[in-house]
Amino acid sequence: MHEFIIALTEYTFLQNAIIACLLASIGCGVIGSYVVVKKISFLTGGIAHSVLAGMGMAYFYNTSPIMGAIIAALISSILIGWINLRWKEHEDVLIAAFWSAGMAIGILFLSRTPGYNVDLMSYLFGNILLITRSNLLLMFLLDLVVLAVVFIYYKHFLVSVFDEEFARLRGINTEFFYILLLCLISITIVILIQLVGLIMVIALLTLPAAIANQYVTSLHKMFMLSALLCAVISVTGVALSFGPDLPTGSVIVLTACVAYFSSIIFKQFVNNK
Amino acid sequence: MNNTVIDIDNVSFNYGVVPVLENVSLKIYEDEFIGIIGPNASGKSTLLKLILGLLEPDKGVIHKYNHAGKDLRNHIGYVPQHSSFPRDFPVTVSEVVMMGHIASSSRLFHYKNKEIELAKQVMQKLEIENIEKRQIGELSGGQLQRVLIARALVCEPEILILDEPTSNVDMRAEEDIFSLLKNYSEHMTIIVVSHDIAFISGYVDRVACLNRTLVCHNTASISGKMIEELYDAPVKMIHHHHH
Repeated sequence: MHEFIIALTEYTFLQNAIIACLLASIGCGVIGSYVVVKKISFLTGGIAHSVLAGMGMAYFYNTSPIMGAIIAALISSILIGWINLRWKEHEDVLIAAFWSAGMAIGILFLSRTPGYNVDLMSYLFGNILLITRSNLLLMFLLDLVVLAVVFIYYKHFLVSVFDEEFARLRGINTEFFYILLLCLISITIVILIQLVGLIMVIALLTLPAAIANQYVTSLHKMFMLSALLCAVISVTGVALSFGPDLPTGSVIVLTACVAYFSSIIFKQFVNNK
Repeated sequence: MNNTVIDIDNVSFNYGVVPVLENVSLKIYEDEFIGIIGPNASGKSTLLKLILGLLEPDKGVIHKYNHAGKDLRNHIGYVPQHSSFPRDFPVTVSEVVMMGHIASSSRLFHYKNKEIELAKQVMQKLEIENIEKRQIGELSGGQLQRVLIARALVCEPEILILDEPTSNVDMRAEEDIFSLLKNYSEHMTIIVVSHDIAFISGYVDRVACLNRTLVCHNTASISGKMIEELYDAPVKMIHHHHH
């Protein structure tokens, strides 16, 4: 641990990693809470994986993979949301189709891209230690977008997520807010992909918020607690992986899992007392 | 006779090929307390959804009249069945009640003082102001029902519609809720859906018995024969009551 703190003062890449953790925690805390209370983690996983299509195309056309990711995430969340609203009874199959089609398209484009890209592995599994200043700036801007939209529509999201039928009766356009929420989720996925990769993104969007859900009475308190938990979990993950030189994304995800199961056991113990 | 507020005119509705409602006509008057009863799957909730405008009738029309000239969105207040939301949702009693303001409220995080004040008054009337900070999962069935009624009243509706308001509460809370509704019915039209004919007939002005089609109309004249007609047969009636 001591060694990690010394390294932190010396290496910019470690400082960047810690800043990335803190920035990601903001989006993760807010949007993760919605994912958990609306119980759409499978859907979120589907959007995350379909992002590979955008990245694959971006590699093929030699443009920025992160921009490809943002566009693919937005398109797939709007498409999944729109089809889902009209075809609700097949939701799980629909998600499976998007999940696999996105991966398949991504791999097809990558297979036709000349050369081998190391970067791709870092988008699949994350490589927080490669995060640059411009990545941080992008994360910051995406956080601002997410926070601004949630602040403006907090009440509308709360009613539509809590009791959709009531919201509809009160004249709220619940379909609009559903798709807007999926877009915010896709933006957050892009923020988090840089930390843990698209395959493990679902862990950070569900586990910290699920822990927070056990201790709060209001959604806005859940935002703050799960953001805090996400920050602690991801910084801990970075610190733990640094000494033995383990893959950081994996260590962050496992830290989140340990925290989640500990919290469940703790809650069980307290309730039985 | 008071003004008609809802005029259901020869309405039919099918889910696919299954007929749910056939040629239902019913006039509901201002400040009336009316119960709609019937066995399971008799089309009660469907009729409510048609009145609320969540569904469109296949045949016939439903006219809604707005005598007080209020904002149409606030015309009807609705209290859903418990099952329409998860009990473990991180939301407090006062936050749920405040949701009644959503149609008229501004964007942004905060509510106006005027809106908070109205919600407080309603919570006091329903005797839930002392539990306003609790998460909804900690409430009893009767308390939760009061919270949902409060949320509907915050909309300041002319017509209040309740779907099985006492299906998850004990006998005593059931009586409390109905006497409360009885008070409100003096200056508000209230429509209650229930499967418990014996209980609600003590409170409501009029009962409409529904089993795909409308069978009877008046509280005073409910006879054993009508109940038999409504539920098909006494044997089946026992079957329907087991839930």
